[in-house]
Amino acid sequence: MNQRVVNRGWRWAGSIAVGVTVMMLVALLPKTTMAAYNAGELLNYASPVEMLYSPDGARLYVLASQSNEVRILNATNFTPIGTVVVGHVPRGFALSADGSRLYVANSWDDTVSVINTRSLSVVATWHAGMEPQSVLADPAGKYVFVANRISSDVAVLDARTGMELKRLVAGRGASYMAMSPDGKRIYVTHVYPNPGPERTPPESEITVIDVARVQVVDRIPLPSVAGVFHVTVSSDGRLMVAAELHPKNLVPLAHLEHGGAFVDTLTLFGSDVGAKPVEIPLDEIEHYAARPFGVAITSDKSRMFVSCGGSEEVLVIDLPRLLHFIHTHRGPFAENLGASANYVIAHIPVGHDPRGVAITPDARRLLVANRLDDRISVIDTHSSRVLTTIPLSGSEQLWSLQFSDRIFSAVNDQPNGKRQCSQCHIDEQHRNAFTMDFSTRKRIQALRRGEQIFYTSRYSFQGQLACANCHFDSTFDGLEWDLEPDGFGRNIVDNRLLEDLRDTAPYKWNGGNPDIPTECGPRTEKYFWRSEIYDDTKLADLVGYILSLPARPNRWRLASGALTPAQERGKAIFTRTRDSFGYPIPQANRCNYCHSGPMGTDQKSFDVGTRRATDDTGRFDTPQLTNIALTAPYLHDGSARSLEEIWTLYNPQDKHGRTNDLTKDQLNDLVEYLRTR
Amino acid sequence: MNPISSKVLLCAAMLSCTMWLGVSSVSARASTPDFIVTAAPVYKPLAELRGGERFPEGAQLLLVHEGKATLLVPDFVASADADLSYDGKSLLFAGKRTSGDRWQIWELNLANHSVRRVVSTATDAERPLHLPGGRLVWAERTGQMFELDSTDNGPSRKPAPRNPTADPGPLLFTHLQGSAFPVAVLRDGRILFEAGYPLGSGSIPELYLVYADGSGVESVRCDHGRARWGGTQLESGDTVFTHGNSLARFTSAQANEVPVAAPRGEYAGSMAEIAPDLWLMSARTGAEKHYTIRAWKPGDRAMQTVLAEHGRDLVEPVLFAPHARPNRHPSGLHPWDYANLLAFDSRLSRAGDLKAAPASVRLEMQDQSGKTVAMGTAPVEKDGSFFVKVPGDRPLRFVLLDKNGAVLRRERGWFWARGGEQRICVGCHTGPERSTENRVPEVLLRSTTPVDLTVPMKSAAQHRAGKEGN
Repeated sequence: MNQRVVNRGWRWAGSIAVGVTVMMLVALLPKTTMAAYNAGELLNYASPVEMLYSPDGARLYVLASQSNEVRILNATNFTPIGTVVVGHVPRGFALSADGSRLYVANSWDDTVSVINTRSLSVVATWHAGMEPQSVLADPAGKYVFVANRISSDVAVLDARTGMELKRLVAGRGASYMAMSPDGKRIYVTHVYPNPGPERTPPESEITVIDVARVQVVDRIPLPSVAGVFHVTVSSDGRLMVAAELHPKNLVPLAHLEHGGAFVDTLTLFGSDVGAKPVEIPLDEIEHYAARPFGVAITSDKSRMFVSCGGSEEVLVIDLPRLLHFIHTHRGPFAENLGASANYVIAHIPVGHDPRGVAITPDARRLLVANRLDDRISVIDTHSSRVLTTIPLSGSEQLWSLQFSDRIFSAVNDQPNGKRQCSQCHIDEQHRNAFTMDFSTRKRIQALRRGEQIFYTSRYSFQGQLACANCHFDSTFDGLEWDLEPDGFGRNIVDNRLLEDLRDTAPYKWNGGNPDIPTECGPRTEKYFWRSEIYDDTKLADLVGYILSLPARPNRWRLASGALTPAQERGKAIFTRTRDSFGYPIPQANRCNYCHSGPMGTDQKSFDVGTRRATDDTGRFDTPQLTNIALTAPYLHDGSARSLEEIWTLYNPQDKHGRTNDLTKDQLNDLVEYLRTR
Repeated sequence: MNPISSKVLLCAAMLSCTMWLGVSSVSARASTPDFIVTAAPVYKPLAELRGGERFPEGAQLLLVHEGKATLLVPDFVASADADLSYDGKSLLFAGKRTSGDRWQIWELNLANHSVRRVVSTATDAERPLHLPGGRLVWAERTGQMFELDSTDNGPSRKPAPRNPTADPGPLLFTHLQGSAFPVAVLRDGRILFEAGYPLGSGSIPELYLVYADGSGVESVRCDHGRARWGGTQLESGDTVFTHGNSLARFTSAQANEVPVAAPRGEYAGSMAEIAPDLWLMSARTGAEKHYTIRAWKPGDRAMQTVLAEHGRDLVEPVLFAPHARPNRHPSGLHPWDYANLLAFDSRLSRAGDLKAAPASVRLEMQDQSGKTVAMGTAPVEKDGSFFVKVPGDRPLRFVLLDKNGAVLRRERGWFWARGGEQRICVGCHTGPERSTENRVPEVLLRSTTPVDLTVPMKSAAQHRAGKEGN
């Protein structure tokens, strides 16, 4: 884990931490809060993403991805039992078969926290692959499987020692897993499409792992699908269901009606379905079930529930009707927006960015983790109504505690924008410690509002898409899009990563947008959302959120900050002034001329010889190099499937830097160095 | 003054100084919320689609408050088509000051009862509807038909944010040889309007949609053939409309209309939703009877009469309360006088997919006199795609041809594309439920330049001949 990057990621959180203030409040804070403070951090929003019931049904485990915790609640009345602090940005967790251990995938630490569920303490921290997203334990207690998003694989760990035994190649951006009830198979999804030929439909897969043999035994193709989230298995093991996006990135984005940008689908497979998987749409003609994420099937297979992050709802599907439909109608179904009327029987509004779903052991309730509300919706599975919402304490509660009347009998505005307790019964030295930065608090709230806007589809025409549709988890989607304003089939553009965007303006590949407000405001309203969007206040919140997105930890940098020998050699190539034959390289033809500065961009446009017949210009904005290793394909139109192809296929005249003199080994070194950016 | 206060004052003023309707002829349920209704000795449903007069013997807007009906704009000899502003502070309506006037669009300020003319036209202007962004749409008579027009709602409004490509100011929406009449503005910002089916040539009343910049015209649903008109969007998002002797609805999940099990009767146009389970509508039990305002709980066998008047039809109930503003449509039209249309797979159709492969497509346009003009042909690729540049703001239709030039399929009606519009058709009348596959249409792999069909064939030939010096 690169601590420098983590610190950058939490820089705004760190700015909140008015350290000494905390000391005075310790006595008032719950233990979990104290733990966070002791770790040098201020509590953040909880941001629940997943939930699990203990085998006896007495406890509910809630994974809080932003406060880096597992919250343990009484499953009956939802009162807190305890909290365990885990690694950074936990995204998935699973119980051992006997429920004695809880494994947590810490995506930013590349680790798995092992929690003793009796003592509620972390008893081990194991290394996993790059950006672990989810974890599963086999019933025999031999293995722990960890799906890793960046390394696109499944790490197989020894369940006793945590030692890595094997890596299994999964789809690109491996993320979520489900195990068959007999424990023999694991089904793995991935969020980024697998590499494929340019301007062809994206392809994804369900990777099927044989648990006993610890081998990949099948790769079930998911044609035209990009962005597969949770997968679940029915209690009898006869039906598997994955929630996914079916983008229309190859079709000019002229309008949104008729599923112009996305349709939201499920893929069903297994013996209930037949030999071939079946993709079914969730959308309606004028309403989209945007970004299906979590899936749960009742044990009697009467109902299926799907959380939709964009449309902020849970769909209720009559499973027998769905199976009847696919067996009595001829597909394909994905393009038929009138199909869902045959099986979707209810839409239940919930909170912002609903993620994981869990059915209570008695099947009477469905729980939904509303990530951006810090709340859990409790739904009656019979009536399809929200019975209640359970708040999870986060920074809001903390702040209100800090500013409660018990501490502050009065506050005075201070000229520096801060407020200070003036009547606390404490000495002067400690009174100063109570100075609170209200502007920081407001900023936290604005960031959360901005994040809610980023993830909701309510602003797009008929609620079809949100920023997060193309920027999964605020990153990218690995697709190239044909946007309408430039003409149909023209100026195809690769989607870019949203991380650490400071000092990277202008935006768009043609550099046409000078700043983020322009990028996200009128342009988005007119050519993406095709509907009235947010006002200036909301736009400011959204922009603030986007600009707050830190770079993820770079996995190729050594913790020491030093470079490996190969990276050093690559850096030398990146900065060289003479080619392999000793000839001087003109300044403008050196890598570090355009890709200069800390972000790897001089923020100017150049013609690097990559113009296609369908491009209006050959001059393209120099992209930043932040986490460049993650964001294939490359070049403005995504024509290069790998970094190496930039030079081996698309730089015949050395216009994109002098590279044709480089050997294969040297190109490898250059790639190794670029991965550290 | 808040809207409620203004409503109370207005009602008091009405009660004290306006002419009472004959009490013996009026009955209303006091429990019903305040509403506005149009009262007319004669109401001719669907006359608007024939370019006729819906209220040949005049009409008056009534405000119904606590069961009592009073004239809403007593200074007008005729008034109809009430459309309350979103904040409930003003009212658009069609009115005539004197009996010799044409119908014009007026606005009533509910706080001070002042009236101003919003639209001044040489012909009848009717059925005004508020649009978000300070604009309005209305129907304007042109000869024997109506067209849809739009403009800013007067200088007293706060200037709407202008879209330089949306052709601000007066805007003609419909480009047809046939009547079109606005019905409602849906929450997504699109305008629901009535016109004959097939569009621009037929006479079966049908409901269509168009964006607030005149682009994107299409049928709401493609299960055509039965007359449907009127229409009100409910809180649920469904649109309920009149369907012969009953009601039906469009619901988002269904590609076809869904019957509403309403009591048998003759229904008149739009209705009002008092609550999710209580509708206010205009209906009569036979042609010899007058329309009355009735309340109905969906599912009930019978309706309850809320307001009836001897000798007059009561139609178009409108709730007298602030209501939600629809979304503003951010026009993305380009500053062109032509449009680009991409057909994704012209072989696909609700009427049955084509078995023979189309080789080319001919564009036909109606000229000002209604005569059909051939604008030329463009090749159709093997995957059924074609990409053409067409004249903007003109009635158009496509004809699919085989390799010998024989007609494989001809569009039944006409449509238009706004100047500056770029649009994709999934197929050839595939219905709104059909989405495109995710693939690059072959025509765009061949060329990203559309085939230019903006010049009539004869003119194009002359043009070419002139250039070639022949």
